[in-house]
Amino acid sequence: MSGRRTELTAYAGIVGSAFAVALVLGAPWHWLALAGALVLACVPAGAAVMCWVDSGEDVAQAGLTLTVSLAVVAIASALMIWTNSWQPRALLALAAAGAISCGARLWWSVDR
Amino acid sequence: MTTYEHTVDRPVAQAASRPSLRRLQPQITLPLLGIGSWAYGVSQIDGSRIGNYGLLASANIWFVLGLVALVIGFTLELAHGRHRGWLLGLYLVGLIVAIHSTVAILFGAPEYGWVYKHIGIASAFQTYGHVTDPTNIYQQWPALFAAVASISSLAHVNALSLASWAPLAFELADALLLLGIFRLLTHDRRIPWVAVLLYEGLIAWVGQDYLSPQAFGYLLWLAMILIILRWLRAPASSDEPHGWVARLRAPLLAGLRPAPPTTKAMRAVAVALLAVIYFAIVAAHQLTPYAALAGVAVLTVLDLVRPRWLLVLMAAIAVAYLLPHLDFIVHNFGLFSDGNPIQNGSGTTAAHHAGGEATTALVVRVLAGCMWLLALGAIARRRRTLGRVAIPAALAFSPFLILGAQSYGGEAIYRVFLFSAPWCALIIAGALCELRAPSRWFLTGAVALTALFAGLQGLYGAVSVNAFTAAEVTASGWLYNHVPRGSLIVLPQENFPMLESADYNDYDFEIMPADPQIDQSWMNESNLSQVKSWMGAFGHQTAYLVVSRSMAASTDYYGAPKGYTELVSSIPTGLGGSVVYRNHDATIYRVTLYHSDATAPSSPQAELGRPK
Repeated sequence: MSGRRTELTAYAGIVGSAFAVALVLGAPWHWLALAGALVLACVPAGAAVMCWVDSGEDVAQAGLTLTVSLAVVAIASALMIWTNSWQPRALLALAAAGAISCGARLWWSVDR
Repeated sequence: MTTYEHTVDRPVAQAASRPSLRRLQPQITLPLLGIGSWAYGVSQIDGSRIGNYGLLASANIWFVLGLVALVIGFTLELAHGRHRGWLLGLYLVGLIVAIHSTVAILFGAPEYGWVYKHIGIASAFQTYGHVTDPTNIYQQWPALFAAVASISSLAHVNALSLASWAPLAFELADALLLLGIFRLLTHDRRIPWVAVLLYEGLIAWVGQDYLSPQAFGYLLWLAMILIILRWLRAPASSDEPHGWVARLRAPLLAGLRPAPPTTKAMRAVAVALLAVIYFAIVAAHQLTPYAALAGVAVLTVLDLVRPRWLLVLMAAIAVAYLLPHLDFIVHNFGLFSDGNPIQNGSGTTAAHHAGGEATTALVVRVLAGCMWLLALGAIARRRRTLGRVAIPAALAFSPFLILGAQSYGGEAIYRVFLFSAPWCALIIAGALCELRAPSRWFLTGAVALTALFAGLQGLYGAVSVNAFTAAEVTASGWLYNHVPRGSLIVLPQENFPMLESADYNDYDFEIMPADPQIDQSWMNESNLSQVKSWMGAFGHQTAYLVVSRSMAASTDYYGAPKGYTELVSSIPTGLGGSVVYRNHDATIYRVTLYHSDATAPSSPQAELGRPK
């Protein structure tokens, strides 16, 4: 189950990253863009880490994916405030990082 | 596919699906009935008719039946020994949605006046991208506000549109993490479910889940505990305890569940994750890092955590962030209160307890007292195998350490309760599930319902005060769009949605210092010459005076500030105020002032930046 749980996390990370970028950049309505922004804050960064780490419980895996993502987004956003370099769209890089890490995790499991 | 194949296939497919459908229907009937009953009940509640005894007293039978059905259905599922996760999850999500979306649906605007201050900080970051008001403590701890600003910016919306649903989002996320943590602490799969059910009732009244740094910090703190318990538990030692400390510890840890298996590499990853999450907490909130530190300190003293230097690492992160802000904290708030834990834990002492407020306060005090007493009773029952409850007990009572240092403006005791509640819920749930009595599930349901409705009285008791209408938020928005920057804006009562604009700092907001809950009562608002003199002392030619439904509700609920009603009725005549804006819940007057030589009294402006 441990491999399956981290694989599921990786799939969630890839889907979440793609979904977030598509909605933030292309949504015709604000509420849809908001859904994308929330997914960006809640999934990619955490999935990038948790697709390599098995917590042993599905709910714990989901909870840690969520909180690690939120922590990373909060720190990154605070850094932009402190350094006077406010570019929220830079957070889309988290989606790219999440997709790369999750893709690598899936490639690694196939390779083995 | 031919028609013939259809005629052959369909009955087979139906026969195959019938038993599962038959099994499914009764299972989901009760949760759906519960949610449906709650939803219908909410649709029949008139928010404007909720009085001082709160929403429960004004609710209808459908609202109550919906909540009861969800709790009873949840307990029945456990009692039948099936405890299917998806069904229990459905009940739990339904219950959390019912508890935490009712006020948002009824009023359509974020609850609590101080949430609007938080929205203002996020809006300032969203608009200007840097710290705009260094004297505001929220801007010095910006992690949550910056994250909200990022999300709002990416979606091109105002943070106001997120805030109403923050309590629901935080509670769902908290429940997810708690379920994960509780499963690490017990073999019995029923106990975590019961514990989360109890928790939702117990903490409902604390109202610490609105869009705020502490709700964010609390969520991250739960993640820290999950990481510590999953990967950073000290391995069990088979050796005899050496030294007096170890011998003292030994009986406390008798029967302790062994640590989950892990690896050295995984421990290193866990420490790194912990450091990142803890830094996010430290940069978001002033108090939560120290509550987290207290919990980890107690676990370290009990020798339950590896590496032992984790505590030092956390303390270093907290202190490193605090040091550059130390002067600001010491000058504006004080680093420590008077060091008297009883005084620090006495809550908001100047409140007028009467009527609905007194009843609600009594209910939640009894609930809090019962929670701690039941938890202590359950620990006492385990006196021969204290290790089985050592971790939750340590986490349940370590938050009291906060009271040794800070009253946090009277709010420290609420944080102690919040940080203690999950572990008390787990300890109580463990005791309930292990009862041998045939009626244990009846008792579990009764305890859960009692906790839920007591907690809801605490949450909804002051809803007429804490909730704002869309009309009040519109009136507040009108001020920022029409009143010249630099103007004096006067609130006779602080209970109004204010400071939600990015430019809040461009206005001179003043609250009449007539409410003993925020200051010594030295101004009677019905004394117009005193009011005129006070407003004139700020040196403006004109003041904008705001009165509203929620101010009147708050005055009625708390019995303060005295003279508010007389002031409102005499603004047009006694103060010469002319109406510049009016809707059905708020009125804004322009009052022409004459300069007074009187010195401006100590302003409660600092209160506007008071950390909540």
